Amino acid sequence: MADTPLYVGIDLGTTNSAAAVFDGERVSVVRNAQGASVTPSVVRLDKQGRVTVGTRARRFLEQDPTNTAAEFKRLMGTGKPIDFPAAAAARTPEQLSAEVLKALRQDITDQLNVTIERAVISVPALFELPQSAATSEAARLAGFARVELLQEPIASALAAGWRADGDGAGTWLVFDLGGGTFDASLLETRDGLLRVVGHDGDNFLGGRDFDWAITEYLASRLAVVPRRNNPEHAGALRALRLAAEDAKIELSRGDKAQVTLAQPLTIDGREVEVDLELERATVEHLCLPLVDRALDVCVRLMTTHGLAAGQLARLVLVGGPTVMPMVRNRVAARLEAGIAEGHDPMTLVAQGAALYAATAGLDGRAASVAVPVGRQVWLQYPAVSADLTPHVVGKFVGADPPAKVKLVRSDGAWSSTEATVGPDGTWLTSVTLLPRRACTFQIEARGASGELVVVSPPQLTIVQGLTIGDPPLSRTLGVALASGHVQTYLERGAPLPARRTFTHHTVETVAKGSSESVLRIPIVQGELSQAHLCRLVGTLDIGGDAVLDTVPTGTAVEVTIELDRGGRLAARALVPSIGQVFEHVAHLLVPDASPEALDASLRDLRRQLMELRTDAFRHGLGQVIEKLDRIESRLSEAERDIDAAHGGDADAAQRARRALLDVDATMTEADLARKWPELDEQARHAAIAASSTVGMYGTEAERTLLQDVMTAMDKARRDKDAAELERQMRLAQRLSNAAFNRTPEAWEWYFEDAASEVSKCRDLPRAQRLVTEGKAAIDRGDNGELRRVVKALWQLLPENSDARKKGFDSGVR
Amino acid sequence: MSRALIDNPFFVLGLATDASRIEVEREAQKLLGMLELAFPGSERYATPLGPQPRTAESVRAAVAALRDPYQRLVAELWARHAPAAAAEPPVREVAEPPRVGLRRALGWRS
Repeated sequence: MADTPLYVGIDLGTTNSAAAVFDGERVSVVRNAQGASVTPSVVRLDKQGRVTVGTRARRFLEQDPTNTAAEFKRLMGTGKPIDFPAAAAARTPEQLSAEVLKALRQDITDQLNVTIERAVISVPALFELPQSAATSEAARLAGFARVELLQEPIASALAAGWRADGDGAGTWLVFDLGGGTFDASLLETRDGLLRVVGHDGDNFLGGRDFDWAITEYLASRLAVVPRRNNPEHAGALRALRLAAEDAKIELSRGDKAQVTLAQPLTIDGREVEVDLELERATVEHLCLPLVDRALDVCVRLMTTHGLAAGQLARLVLVGGPTVMPMVRNRVAARLEAGIAEGHDPMTLVAQGAALYAATAGLDGRAASVAVPVGRQVWLQYPAVSADLTPHVVGKFVGADPPAKVKLVRSDGAWSSTEATVGPDGTWLTSVTLLPRRACTFQIEARGASGELVVVSPPQLTIVQGLTIGDPPLSRTLGVALASGHVQTYLERGAPLPARRTFTHHTVETVAKGSSESVLRIPIVQGELSQAHLCRLVGTLDIGGDAVLDTVPTGTAVEVTIELDRGGRLAARALVPSIGQVFEHVAHLLVPDASPEALDASLRDLRRQLMELRTDAFRHGLGQVIEKLDRIESRLSEAERDIDAAHGGDADAAQRARRALLDVDATMTEADLARKWPELDEQARHAAIAASSTVGMYGTEAERTLLQDVMTAMDKARRDKDAAELERQMRLAQRLSNAAFNRTPEAWEWYFEDAASEVSKCRDLPRAQRLVTEGKAAIDRGDNGELRRVVKALWQLLPENSDARKKGFDSGVR
Repeated sequence: MSRALIDNPFFVLGLATDASRIEVEREAQKLLGMLELAFPGSERYATPLGPQPRTAESVRAAVAALRDPYQRLVAELWARHAPAAAAEPPVREVAEPPRVGLRRALGWRS
């Protein structure tokens, strides 16, 4: 039926990709030309320049590895082209992903006979901004007019929750072990609303680690052992790895598998026969530590949210490796929960993406250019609704609208009351849905004398089912200031899309025409209020060669940060005094990972680790030492990947780069814990100050809130959670400030404080004038004027240069 | 702290503090639709500090806040204690009649 919308979801995976469609009632997985529900993310370019995708390309991975690319998803956003010597061509990871997307898009057309222009594509939860941008670009290259990105754990949660008829109450855990990453998400469904309670994961753990563990075991049993750090051995290892992958799948069912290669491998000039027997028990033994690592993450996540083993309502397993019986048993046993049946771990993410497309109202079909017949009406309604009686809002276009509107459900069993249309054409009514069904309503409009009016569109469809609402922002986003602090723009969990504007002031002059003077506005992501502890994700530069006029110190700059539903970033800086807008955000590319650079940072991190460790021992900080031990083992793993990077494995290089970044962050955290005594004392001072000011000047609500903050502070102190203590301390300070600002003396105090530092001010004559004005204002009792003076004085006070460096050289405050 | 009143999700959505989850979602979805079609009156909401401009972003932020149990508790607290904290007499010049539940949200018994 041409009128039914078709929602498309695509799981663009590291090893396999899949597509699913949702018609409002059923989700179905799209099969490819070979009849399979998943398509390997492998692309081959032959010497005629012909492109092969999927299973047929995967077959060439062994025979013709140089002209066949796999696992390019891990290189997304690096801008690094992959060479195809036979065709004498190179393709970027985006272009290769586009080929996979094109193939899936064609499969949908072949199977359903519709052209698809819009879809939802899933991305890993912790994809960096450039990687998301690259995914959107790939979709554009594949001919999609519009795509939305959705985080993979949310997709699998949505698909798993959709099927849970009522009995899904309680907390769920989605255990998503993909090709290269592991994600654990806790979620709950209540009243048909899905809520992601928490999320944790390991970006460096996946099925490929299983494959490598098996490969290395197989390699160790060969007559000549191939090594990962030798580029000459890459071919032999690749062949072994493919065989290991097949054996692993075979052992999901049988107890024994034979690993035999048709052709002997050539290692160091010698021919080596491969004919090994692999037992299920051996594979399980090899993979067990990896599964336990994933389970540790789950336990950590559950503990954070106050859940013990046995308290989960259900477990949902996602991803290829979870097909292994050993993984299923181990997970169910350790978490003491039943595994939800009836979910295909390989296509659940694609199914969730398709369901989400419906929630987002993203009909996949190519827009038809049918000429509207009748009176045009604009409609607003939820395409998917958890609510059984949602509202429908409409507006007739043009003058003289019909007088009444009624919605009639297509099964004829229900119709709405007649809504009266306002003089401007607007009307509002609500409809009654059937549970778990797609309901179509005819729009019946009548004129003033009761005659039927033909309207366009004549009907609307609403699906009743689980909704997730707006996707939440995964990490807090803000602007680093010259003081080294962060001005938070969008808090973690903020619903996307979101936009926020704040006014900052420049701390230095940007001279017109000077290419050297550049004002930086660094955009950072992270949960801590100190900029250097957050990740720099982009910068907005106001350069001297671009400004129309010199921008003096203290000029107001209105910065707007915008994120769309997929988490794509846009930022804009408006300088009102010269009426100029700057919007080019330099997105930091995922940096190149040369083995030499990796070696250097590894050495650097090892040295830092040593210092931290000595220090931790000296102060007897047991918890810190434990954290550092974990870092140590991560570094050893990274070292192995760097070895492989020396052997020419670009993917391992990227993996190592991210592992090192991760270690860096953990180390910073450990460092914060080391400064615990200092932080603890600061927090105590803040608490004392807040309780006295709030006690004296606070409102009842503020007092209650401060109570909560104090309780949270105590908990953070008990848990030795530095980041949380810092956050609560900030809250206490904010409450304290709010109460303090209500007192008449507040601004006098601020004035005294600023005036005492007047000698440090930039524009001394002006600062002195302001001080005189301020004194006069106090004498007159003019609080409004005093406020203006203080704010002007603050503009003139300098920023500390050390602080500024920590704020990524920010030029604003 | 006046932002805690001005941006209070219950005021943004014009709901009473005892509104159920479904009511919150339903009201937000309706308001988003009305804003999109520029319904008269939908672009402002009443607070104890006078009417405030309502945008699609503020509506989305309000729902998100009410979905989170802790944030909802804080919002309920502020909405209930609002009259005591307000420096100015509540709502005088509103373009439209106060929404159902608003009086209750402001602490009246009726």
